[in-house]
Amino acid sequence: MYLLLSLVAVVTVFPFYWMFILATQAPAEIFRTPPHLWFGRSGAENYHALIRALPTFWRNMWNSIYVAIMATLTTLFFCSLGGYAFAMYDFKYKNQLFALMIATMMIPPLLGIVPYYIMMSWLGWIDKPRALYVPSMASAFGIFLLRQYIAAAVPRELLDAARIDGCSEFRIYWNIVLPLIRPGLATLGIVTFVGSWNNFLGALVVLRSREAYTLPVALRSLQGLYTTDWGAIMLGTALSILPILVVFLFASRRIIAAFAAGAGLKQ
Amino acid sequence: MRKALFVGVCLAALALAAWGEEKVTITVAVYPDLDSVIEGVLPAFQALYPDIEVELEVAGYVDHHTRLLTTLAAGMGVPDMAAVEIGYIARFAAEGGLVDLSQPPYNAEAYASLFVPYAWQQAHTVDGRLIAMPADIAPATMFWRRDVFAERGVSIDEIKTWEDYIEVGRRLTYDADGDGQIDHWLVDDAATVAMILWGGHTRFFDQEGNCIVDSPRFVRAFEVAKAIREAGLDARIPAWTNEWYEAFRRGTVATAINGAWLMGHLQNWIAPETAGLWGAAQLPGGIYTQRGGTWYVIPQASDNKDAAWKLVKFLTTNPDIQLRAFEITNAFPAVQAVWEDPIFEEPVPFLGGQPARLLWKEAVQHIVGVPTNPNDAIAMEIVSDALTQVLEEGRPIAEALAEAKRLIERRTGL
Amino acid sequence: MSNPLGLWRRWWARRQQRYAPYLFISPFYILFFAFGLFPIGFSLVLSFHSWRAVGGLETMRWIGLENYRFLLTDPWFWQSLGNTLVLLVISGLPQHLIALPLAFLLNRRLPPRLRHLYSASYFFPYITSTVAISLVFGTIFGLHYGILNQLLEYLASAPWSRWLFGWLEGYLPINWLGKAVYIKPAIAIVVLWHWFGWNTILYLAGLQTIPREVFEAAKVDGANVWHEFWHISLPLLRPIIFFAVTMTIIGNMQLFDEPFILTGGTGGPGRAGMTVAIYLYRTAFEWTQMGVAAAMSWLLFVSIGVLSLLNYLLLGRAALARRGEE
Repeated sequence: MYLLLSLVAVVTVFPFYWMFILATQAPAEIFRTPPHLWFGRSGAENYHALIRALPTFWRNMWNSIYVAIMATLTTLFFCSLGGYAFAMYDFKYKNQLFALMIATMMIPPLLGIVPYYIMMSWLGWIDKPRALYVPSMASAFGIFLLRQYIAAAVPRELLDAARIDGCSEFRIYWNIVLPLIRPGLATLGIVTFVGSWNNFLGALVVLRSREAYTLPVALRSLQGLYTTDWGAIMLGTALSILPILVVFLFASRRIIAAFAAGAGLKQ
Repeated sequence: MRKALFVGVCLAALALAAWGEEKVTITVAVYPDLDSVIEGVLPAFQALYPDIEVELEVAGYVDHHTRLLTTLAAGMGVPDMAAVEIGYIARFAAEGGLVDLSQPPYNAEAYASLFVPYAWQQAHTVDGRLIAMPADIAPATMFWRRDVFAERGVSIDEIKTWEDYIEVGRRLTYDADGDGQIDHWLVDDAATVAMILWGGHTRFFDQEGNCIVDSPRFVRAFEVAKAIREAGLDARIPAWTNEWYEAFRRGTVATAINGAWLMGHLQNWIAPETAGLWGAAQLPGGIYTQRGGTWYVIPQASDNKDAAWKLVKFLTTNPDIQLRAFEITNAFPAVQAVWEDPIFEEPVPFLGGQPARLLWKEAVQHIVGVPTNPNDAIAMEIVSDALTQVLEEGRPIAEALAEAKRLIERRTGL
Repeated sequence: MSNPLGLWRRWWARRQQRYAPYLFISPFYILFFAFGLFPIGFSLVLSFHSWRAVGGLETMRWIGLENYRFLLTDPWFWQSLGNTLVLLVISGLPQHLIALPLAFLLNRRLPPRLRHLYSASYFFPYITSTVAISLVFGTIFGLHYGILNQLLEYLASAPWSRWLFGWLEGYLPINWLGKAVYIKPAIAIVVLWHWFGWNTILYLAGLQTIPREVFEAAKVDGANVWHEFWHISLPLLRPIIFFAVTMTIIGNMQLFDEPFILTGGTGGPGRAGMTVAIYLYRTAFEWTQMGVAAAMSWLLFVSIGVLSLLNYLLLGRAALARRGEE
């Protein structure tokens, strides 16, 4: 069993690891076959090339971090509220409203880019980070996910007991339900963070000045017609993964740690 | 009383002067490496027009066009001036998007004779609007490996026609390590040869807008590609993949038919160690065609068209600036006069010291261009697909092209 | 006896309980009305027009159902829909078939450190950038120098494996990215690699909410591993499974990234790798036939809706029930 698990682990981590290898290779070495499997010596050069071609790199990194954090916090809040409502309450039109919400997920977003741009233009949000996280603050996906978690993890009796004790609805949500669904929150958190981090098309049309770019657009702006510095792009890409890695390790600890606690606590 | 009047007049004069001095800021949307060009020539431009400020918007080559399309579609937040590459010019050619520069106050038709013919023709649409000004061009050429040719006892002068190319190709396609599998080929992909022969991203419609993909030019392109494929002369490697780069490094592909700009990529990162092993030659059979090119356009929705036009004129019609652009990016100038500069007679080290630019100077004179049709992009897709059917599935050429024509005509109304 | 403050408190508590849910779900609907409705309306209206985009909004031309008629008789559309459905099955099914047992294995008596390590590593594909993915898989699927082909060559010729893999000899080297019949498996492999970890984590998190006692009790009753898996874990995981499968359906029907990466944005040889989403994207942004693209996105919506409905009818009803109400 350990062999199987380990094999799968290697397969999944390898490309990720390889990205860091490539980041330290000179541009001419990056596309070599057979590929290099160990680190090269051009890390510093690539870094200098990156900063030269993209002086706003660290600013762009900060932009990505800021937008992702805002997106994650707002999404976690609004989606847990919504998921809680759908899971734990009975109210008129509940099923219809839920079905409608699910239906909105099925609409392919690809074409929405033009109306999205029109709206942001009209609001005056061009070149502003809020254009990237506000529209998707309460996502149907998040509400659906947390609804399922809450339905599975929170016993009704607990809520009724809290109500008898005189707790307000919001306090029930905040103090009782939220701590119980930490794994779900962590999962949605990492998904939202990564989604926001990799959001590319929206960022492309809404962000115009290089200082306002987030990382995906900024790194791709190094791809030219007659020239491309792949060393710079590879290093930039590898660096841009680091914050996600940090958030991910943080979140996964939450998921795992909360398990041991939560499983025993629920009586 | 007179004093007040005097002061009043002075103030008015000051205000007038300030108003006349009012700075205009134009946004210029480009992709690399054009941003280096504009930054490089900006001081000269500002010396000429001190009241025009330039703001650059830079995005990746593909992304830039996506963004441009989105802003034009919304009619909001458009740049005042943008660069557009040949593969994309078609999608911007439809009515209403770009300014017709042949109209007053631009009257750009006056510049017709300055430019390389195909670049000028391509800048027009089928209904006669001039929607762009040529910035740089890219002739197609055949790069060949001197070492491979020498090893197989082949001389580049043996290749005069496409039949010669195929004949010679048989000698260049062989199994080097004796494992029963061919590992050296004439060319990377028969499909690129076909595309070169029919004219690349354009020329699917004639001057009146009729679809002409069943014409002899296309039939010939398909026939040559099919012959190459059937003789097993191509490596069937798609372009811009690791295998493709590796083929250039190892010299397993004897010729590469592509735009002259490929040399830049080879030199910088694909195969820098092969410097000196390559040569450039004209395409066989007296064919001259393009494989690229950049134009500058001005969107209709821009608020600063006049200022933008000044910059466009500066970049495209001024020979000194064109030369400067060439020095910065190695992209060939669209203005004919610039080609007279001695820099084009210099030997090119990567090509073994060959003065290849003279070769390309010769080529650009003969390249045929036609006006851009908004349906070029989809025609390209359908014809490429027909080519795949011919090469991979053995479909008869006439049938594939007739079907392609039918499909194109079916789609073009929408 | 009647305590005014107490009465008021009870009234307020009942009021709260009645209206709180509406308040809690309102952010979604407010945001949806503000930002979601316009794009939907826009693309719906657009699907009845012909629009070449470049000229701005004024150049839209009404053509009624022409776009829909074109698409419904368009071989390319049906082909892309077929591609998408095939990919949904061959990449979606294995995802869950692998993720469920894997999550179950991880949940069992593994030392927490190891569990953390393994489950964290399975998530990596999700956070790997597309640049890296395209490079890696480009190298894996290469025709002459690709790792996969090299491996298959070895397996087909090495004495110890020849009896099993020898028949491959005639097909090698496989042109994964260049031949229509192979591009779908290649895409499926990448999708599988990309997403199975996500589902595993999801199921793992779900399994972790099942109290230990349930498993302890089962073991006391003499249940073996298989029983634990099939009769205990699976039923209790039903809400999560339903969610994950629904997301797979909705997500894979809109599959875009992986085929886009592997085929360089073209949809592959003979359009064998062209999903509806790619066809949509190209129609809109390469051929600027915006009206056709809009109509296509609505046809895609209908397809997704039908599949989701089927999914709900099969799996959903029980899965949406609450704990203790089954």
